[in-house]
Amino acid sequence: MNSDYLLNKRILLVDDEQELLDMVVSILREAGFCQIETAKTVKDALDSANSFQPELAILDVMLPDGDGFSLMEKLKGGYPVLFLTACGEDDDKFKGFGLGADDYVVKPFLPKELLFRITAILRRSYKDENPLVKLHGSQIDFLRAEVIKNGEHIPLTAKEHDLLSALYRNAGRIVTIDALCEAAWGDNPFGYENSLMAHIRRIREKIELNPSRPVSLVTIKGLGYKLIAEGR
Amino acid sequence: MNNLPKLIRRFTGILLLSFILLLLVNFVVLAFLMAWQSPSVASSPYNVAIQTGKAFQASENGYTLQEDISTQLKQQDVWAFVVDNDTLQIVWKTENLPDTIPTSYTLSDIADLSVGYLDGYPTYTGKTENGIVILGYPKDSFWKHTRASWNYNFFAHLPQIIFIVLTVNIVVILLIYVIANVRFLKPVKPITKGIQDLSVGEPVHIPEKGLLSDISANINRTSDILQEQRQQLKKKETARANWIAGVSHDIRTPLSMVMGYAGQLKDDANLTDEECQKAEVIVKQSKRMQNLINDLNLASKLEYDMQPINSAKQNLIAIVRQVVVDFINMDIEDRYPIEWQTDEALTVCPINADKDLLKRAVSNLIQNSINHNEQGCKIYISVTADNDYCTVIVSDDGVGETDELIEKLNKTPHYMLCDKNTTEQRHGLGLLIVKQIVSAHGGTIVITNNSYGGFLVKFTLPKSK
Repeated sequence: MNSDYLLNKRILLVDDEQELLDMVVSILREAGFCQIETAKTVKDALDSANSFQPELAILDVMLPDGDGFSLMEKLKGGYPVLFLTACGEDDDKFKGFGLGADDYVVKPFLPKELLFRITAILRRSYKDENPLVKLHGSQIDFLRAEVIKNGEHIPLTAKEHDLLSALYRNAGRIVTIDALCEAAWGDNPFGYENSLMAHIRRIREKIELNPSRPVSLVTIKGLGYKLIAEGR
Repeated sequence: MNNLPKLIRRFTGILLLSFILLLLVNFVVLAFLMAWQSPSVASSPYNVAIQTGKAFQASENGYTLQEDISTQLKQQDVWAFVVDNDTLQIVWKTENLPDTIPTSYTLSDIADLSVGYLDGYPTYTGKTENGIVILGYPKDSFWKHTRASWNYNFFAHLPQIIFIVLTVNIVVILLIYVIANVRFLKPVKPITKGIQDLSVGEPVHIPEKGLLSDISANINRTSDILQEQRQQLKKKETARANWIAGVSHDIRTPLSMVMGYAGQLKDDANLTDEECQKAEVIVKQSKRMQNLINDLNLASKLEYDMQPINSAKQNLIAIVRQVVVDFINMDIEDRYPIEWQTDEALTVCPINADKDLLKRAVSNLIQNSINHNEQGCKIYISVTADNDYCTVIVSDDGVGETDELIEKLNKTPHYMLCDKNTTEQRHGLGLLIVKQIVSAHGGTIVITNNSYGGFLVKFTLPKSK
């Protein structure tokens, strides 16, 4: 995945436990993120946010001088927020999402899981800065909504763009038929399976060298589709 | 609440019945007494007098009475005399005639004694050839109705009058009874309501006054005790659920450290394969702990009804598919391939359900197959639907379970819900949660072995309309 441009994003990490901060920092550094700042209290976090101008905030819910939800409201930075917390209760989750959090990771978590979520959020939030996405035999330019294949620029329709974005956010992973329908047609998309198949066919014609033998956009029978991007 | 009118109806019915029975018995007894006490027609004094009159034989020497009548009179201690029609003098008398009886009579004397008494003796008259025979019965042997004189109309309408009087009596008595009953039952009403409320567990407070204040007080006290017990139970359950929630919360942070570092070490290129494998074991075991914590918390919440069920219309296929894909995305080693066996023509299975809980149920079933098959196994998942129900089947071709254990899994309660101390080998909470979630959604679950020799769990949920 060619998402190197995301590694330069400034990440603010807020948690009251030093050891956890250390661990997350080490996970992030190992993954290649280089601009990380930590804070242990709401006050510190607000100070850092002012000077550091983060592009992603990872917040704990329970902090010694307040809670993550109100901290998020105070930050109001226009950048994505991910909650990382020991509170697994659904109520808390709904509250977090209701306030506009981009994701919610419940402790404990595997480094891979956390990294995947962070990458997905960053990709979604900063997709306009995205350079070309390299596929086998073609490239996608999400900003211009077009595919470049054999030097030819092929425009993507709005639905194709939505579907490819959803697939790219989860590149390398299966996205279910239902999730794709939801991405293209909104909530409760019952009965769009055939339309989806038609769109996938058209996308393949644009991105695949041999559309009848797809390599980049593969079908997982009965379940969904997977976009395989090249690079990193 | 309908008991009170029923009670009054029944009381009134019994009262009416007893009233009528009483009257009937009285009439019977009266009739019996009359029949027993009043002399038979033949031996009534009137008849005896008439017979006596006929039994006289007039001759030149006066009257002679037939022997048998004469003895009969004597036996009954009855005296008799005959007054002549012309002379109005006694012309014949028995020997036992008292001295106080006059010997001559006027017509008015005769009229008097025919309806009444002569010198205190009840007298009866009979006709003889030329006179009248008068029988005198011993004093106080009969009572005579001397001055009977009634309005004819009264007697002509006697049945109606009796009926009206009786009816009025009955109505008055009923009225008294009903009023008395209502006044008596008035304090009973709050008591019956109180007992009804008590039975459904509502708090009860009845005013403690009147005839039944003792009972009211007892009911109030019972209610207080019940409420207190309920509150304590609730408190205990809440405390237990909170305790479990607290413990699982506190374990999460240290466990994330274990998992985080072990996860890093697992992929560390500087370590030997053996070391990486050790790290992987740590990761795997911490994941187990993570599952256990999640399960423990949810199981206790479901058990104590503290887990809100946020039902909404969902597509069961989409839910199951998402869980399957999450597992496939996670299982990089491909040791547990999942085969999606749902008919592709079936795209929508509408149900009313809590999406997160159902996801949890399906993912627990898949996790269960993984946990029980260290060597790896293939997992088969299908969703089917008929008119009213949707069915999800999760099975594997792994080691399966003994029939005995399957029987147990289907029938006996989980050790967490067992009220006895159990030393039985304890199994995970995964299946318990699936059972709880399925039953919270009004579904059924069957656990069995399948044709691959592995484990199979099938749950069925009602389709939403």
